[in-house]
Amino acid sequence: MPYDDLRSFLDTLDKEGQLLRITDEVLPEPDLAAAANAAGRIGEGAPALYFDNVTGFTDARIALNVHGSWRNHALALGLPAATSVKDQVEEFARRWDAFPVAPERREDAPWRENTQEGADVDLFDVLPLFRLNDGDGGFYLDKAAVVSRDPDDPDHFGKQNVGTYRLEVIGRDRLAIQPVPVHDVALHLKAAESRDEDLPIAITLGNDPVTTIVAGMPMGYDRSEYEMAGALRGAPAPIATAPLTGFDVPWGSEVVIEGVIEGRKRQIEGPFGEFTGHYSGGRRMPVVRIDRISYRTNPVFESLYLGMPWTEVDYLVGPNTCVPLLKQLRAEFPEVQAVNAMYTHGLAVIISTKKRYGGFAKAVGMRAMTTPHGLGYVAQVILVDEDVDPFDLPQVMWAMSSKVNPKDDVVIIPNLSVLELAPAATPAGITSKMIIDATTPVSPDNRGNFSTPVRDLPETKEWIGRLTSMLAKR
Amino acid sequence: MICPRCAHDALDTLAHSPVPGVWDVLQCTRCLYTWRTTEPERRTRREAYPVQFRLTQEDIDNAIEVPAVPPLNAG
Repeated sequence: MPYDDLRSFLDTLDKEGQLLRITDEVLPEPDLAAAANAAGRIGEGAPALYFDNVTGFTDARIALNVHGSWRNHALALGLPAATSVKDQVEEFARRWDAFPVAPERREDAPWRENTQEGADVDLFDVLPLFRLNDGDGGFYLDKAAVVSRDPDDPDHFGKQNVGTYRLEVIGRDRLAIQPVPVHDVALHLKAAESRDEDLPIAITLGNDPVTTIVAGMPMGYDRSEYEMAGALRGAPAPIATAPLTGFDVPWGSEVVIEGVIEGRKRQIEGPFGEFTGHYSGGRRMPVVRIDRISYRTNPVFESLYLGMPWTEVDYLVGPNTCVPLLKQLRAEFPEVQAVNAMYTHGLAVIISTKKRYGGFAKAVGMRAMTTPHGLGYVAQVILVDEDVDPFDLPQVMWAMSSKVNPKDDVVIIPNLSVLELAPAATPAGITSKMIIDATTPVSPDNRGNFSTPVRDLPETKEWIGRLTSMLAKR
Repeated sequence: MICPRCAHDALDTLAHSPVPGVWDVLQCTRCLYTWRTTEPERRTRREAYPVQFRLTQEDIDNAIEVPAVPPLNAG
């Protein structure tokens, strides 16, 4: 069943035992972030957290770790909570093929209930803002969907972007935003600033769980996130028109913030404990002026803890990064079997592939680096044979340890693009990239002694079933 | 009171706690560091603020732009 808003998804998490309501009074700092940090250390069954008794606030409602486990991720897609990661990725890829599914426009958005405008705008009055990590420069909105349009083609629905970008609260009506140059909002901003214009934006908080997934998904520039949300939901995504910008925003959001990125202005931002497990910033980043806030009565503030992986963001952008790379690679190289891009948003990627001829796997690795997402990520690619499961790290390490002759199978390419946040990049935005070809060499690349592999016994598959069944009945 | 991060002495109050008198949210007018007065000392007091996160006016002036401001279109 698709969820039209965050609240209905929280109800399901509650019924499935995947929502933990913390009713004891907690401090906004450091308790909220520390609890979400701890949830990320519990393991793949971790629940979402819900707080409504926070010191100094009268009516704070805070949801954290909503996508922060494989169970919650499965439920967000309407799958059984116990669905395996491999099956979640395969189902995600299957639903992708229904793209595009046109959204459904509705006019009765619940966030129309309350409004602040102009001089009355005060983020602190609407949201129970709080800090995550010790070194953060301030309080962040880090789980929003930011909507912007291409100033050169504003009526193109597909070029309207819905993306997640970090937003630091630097005033009651001001935010700093990080548009990483490889991301779509940076293209929109560049077009606006080149004309000496501001860039209008709408920022939506507390979205339905699939909108959040597509907002963090590397998609083609002219492909609509709403049409992809419809494909993944199996039903049209409900959208509404934002009152100030006229942009298309999720119908079910808790809060819709509208304003502009002020053209040609930069101001100090950060640092922020990022998904890379390192702080980034302070850097001079663009500034948002908020002109209007629309919000549901008693809005739920959804936030996300991130820091040293794995945290919620790794569950959130794991499958949604694997599938675009899988689809883009397969479009030209149907030999590609599976892609695991779950490590730090795809800075490291593992790909299993068949081979046409010697050297083919390395070509697949280079193609991964030249996909739109790969240009800013994909700094290390490990290629494995078609019978190696790239999600099974012991199998991957077996391939690495037995198949790789470093002199022939490790390729390092200098001075390629990567997002500025990559801690190993120097200067920021530039890195060398590496391919490790852990596939078995095939002709005419005649190397090594791989002719007599040990295979699983023919009866092993049956025994896996028998043992699994016996264990389940204990 | 001074900014824990850059030691600047001009601060703004961005918010008061909805329950009166429990906390305030303060902000440095120079480096924009923002904190709640009830946070741990390592985030609120200059003496306890970690050295690796401190900023100077020079750091702010020399911070790189992300993304860089593009040139204006001709004409």
